[in-house]
Amino acid sequence: MKEIQYDNQIVRWWVIGAIVWGLAAMLGGVILAFQLVYPELNMGLPWISFGRLRPVHTNGAIFGFTLSIVFATFYYAIPRLLKTPMWSSKLSRVHFGLYTLTIVLAVVTLVSGITQSKEYAELEWPIDVLIAAWWVIMGLNVFMTIKNREEQHLYAAIWFFIATIVTIPILYIVNNLSIPASLWKSYSIYSGSTDANIQWWYGHNAVAFVLTTPILGMMYYYLPKHSRLPIFSHRISIIHFWSLIFIYIWAGPHHLLYQPIPDWAQTLGMVFSVSLIAPSWGGMLNAFLTLTQAKDKIRTDATLKFILVAMTFYGMSTFEGPMMAIRSVNMISHNTDWTIGHVHGGALGWVAGMMFVAMYYLVPRLWNTKLYSEKLAEIHFWMATVGVLVYMVSMWVSGITEGLMWRAVDSTGALQYPDWIEIVRTLKPYRIARALGGTLFLSGFILMVYNLIQTIRRKGQGFVPVDLREAASK
Amino acid sequence: MSEEHKNLTFYEKLSEKIESKSLKFILFTTLAVLIGGLVEIPPFFLMGSVQKIESVKPYNALELAGRDAYQQEGCFYCHTQVIRPFKWETDRWDRNREYGPEPFSKAGEFVYEHPFLWGSKRTGPDLSHEASLNNNASWHRAHLMNPRETTPGSVMPAYPWLFESKLDAAEVKSHMRALQTVGVPYTQTDMDAADELVKGKTQGDALIAYILKLGRDTMVVK
Repeated sequence: MKEIQYDNQIVRWWVIGAIVWGLAAMLGGVILAFQLVYPELNMGLPWISFGRLRPVHTNGAIFGFTLSIVFATFYYAIPRLLKTPMWSSKLSRVHFGLYTLTIVLAVVTLVSGITQSKEYAELEWPIDVLIAAWWVIMGLNVFMTIKNREEQHLYAAIWFFIATIVTIPILYIVNNLSIPASLWKSYSIYSGSTDANIQWWYGHNAVAFVLTTPILGMMYYYLPKHSRLPIFSHRISIIHFWSLIFIYIWAGPHHLLYQPIPDWAQTLGMVFSVSLIAPSWGGMLNAFLTLTQAKDKIRTDATLKFILVAMTFYGMSTFEGPMMAIRSVNMISHNTDWTIGHVHGGALGWVAGMMFVAMYYLVPRLWNTKLYSEKLAEIHFWMATVGVLVYMVSMWVSGITEGLMWRAVDSTGALQYPDWIEIVRTLKPYRIARALGGTLFLSGFILMVYNLIQTIRRKGQGFVPVDLREAASK
Repeated sequence: MSEEHKNLTFYEKLSEKIESKSLKFILFTTLAVLIGGLVEIPPFFLMGSVQKIESVKPYNALELAGRDAYQQEGCFYCHTQVIRPFKWETDRWDRNREYGPEPFSKAGEFVYEHPFLWGSKRTGPDLSHEASLNNNASWHRAHLMNPRETTPGSVMPAYPWLFESKLDAAEVKSHMRALQTVGVPYTQTDMDAADELVKGKTQGDALIAYILKLGRDTMVVK
């Protein structure tokens, strides 16, 4: 049989890019967390003041770090699942080049205060055009590879990747329509409540189609590959895939409860958000039931531990989210630190967790060697897990505290805390705890980077998949 | 029919029809993700759900430059501009009782807001009614120069650089023209007034003018 030549070089580039953007985004996050307690930390510099650094952190984490590993997985897993090399390795490289240019432009413009002021859609119109260009290039390359495939059957991981490739441009283009006033300034063509509705239709589905579907696709690839066990249920994959992508799109207006958009839209947003528990937990259960077949391996393998904990955080976030989308809960949680805690439970616990899985899986294979240290990976796992927990719990306490202080009244019915700054002062210890949790998470990340660099330095020594059960019994 | 095929469940049989047909699969995926948006977005344009408030006027040139500065510094990451219909919110942000019997935010207040700046996080207080709550320009200047001077314990960054950055009337006018294109009814008089309004002013001055416009048009009692 003819051996298929896969392009590993492009995957290596994406992994290295992810390390760089991941470090930058998380370092930015830690600086921001400390700035929320010690505002002087921007040292009087405009470009690292909170309002400019925050979009660098969010865009860097979502579109820099996460998307880089998602694309690494596209270029690694899709050809292997289809038994076909990428259609055009030249286009793969053009995609990487334009993408990297985008991220650099994004950082430079955002710290300069050039922004559309829509969350996760801050980048100004010339960068939007650039993004549309490389998205089409990437989509074309993937779809042509699918068209030329040797393996007829499309495996579940591919479904989730297709959903991302198709949906992101629809969301991105509609939400970013604007009239340029100059090269670096434009105004949304929508106004007020219409703009808000479209923004959160986009914003919530950026969570769905950048931070959920491709990551589930990664779970469907890396979990069975790494554990060498089949996915527990094909039927669950089918049901949860179609219901997830159909329902997610409706959930956006839960960001606008009690705000001036029509009631019917708010109610639709709430109902569909609550319904999302079912397909989300379907995915979680499929992973858990697969993992139960590998119980003995989990004890000795950091990568499997990361999958287990990532799926647990996925389950937690997809339960917490629907609860927060219910009007009576949202009344307290909206606009508070609770939302930030919720986001990071998903972003650090679930998304970053799966990113680490991908890196520990890919790096030894791509550089044809052994992972430098399983022990360090194990320590990284614990630092990451404890880090997220400290982060989340402190934000729960902080968020619920502020939500309750805003509405507290005394026996005469007057506001108990009319002075805003009193609330800010109360939240200080929890925000310090959050910053420390984030620092721990970042330290774990740095440890992983050290581990991966040491692995890469020993490249070419030959990759041998370890049977973890054997290692355990010794 | 093979033995294996008979054992497939209803869903698996359904899915089997497209799992090997990539074009169909992509098409069905696209349809699945389009439906929600098609139900939730077009009605905003077709139903005329926004009730107009006559007193709401577009920003003048200086205020618009202030709004641009507000966008530039990402103020909306920590300040909301939308008051929910709860007593504890209206008590806090209409403490002077100047906004009538329904002192919460209504869609008609935002018809000239491109983009909307409602925000999603209240690290600092809501600013929708700042014209009513604190219309002292020199307080705002001192606060923007160093928030801890007026408000000990504040975690807001200081913005001294805004008061060093001079405005350019031509640039502001180009912004007004772009907004005209998306439907803000700027008149020739509004455009002509720009030079005079902006002359010698800094981004910081403009930001204060913008803050003092927030909630000014909807005050019932003035």
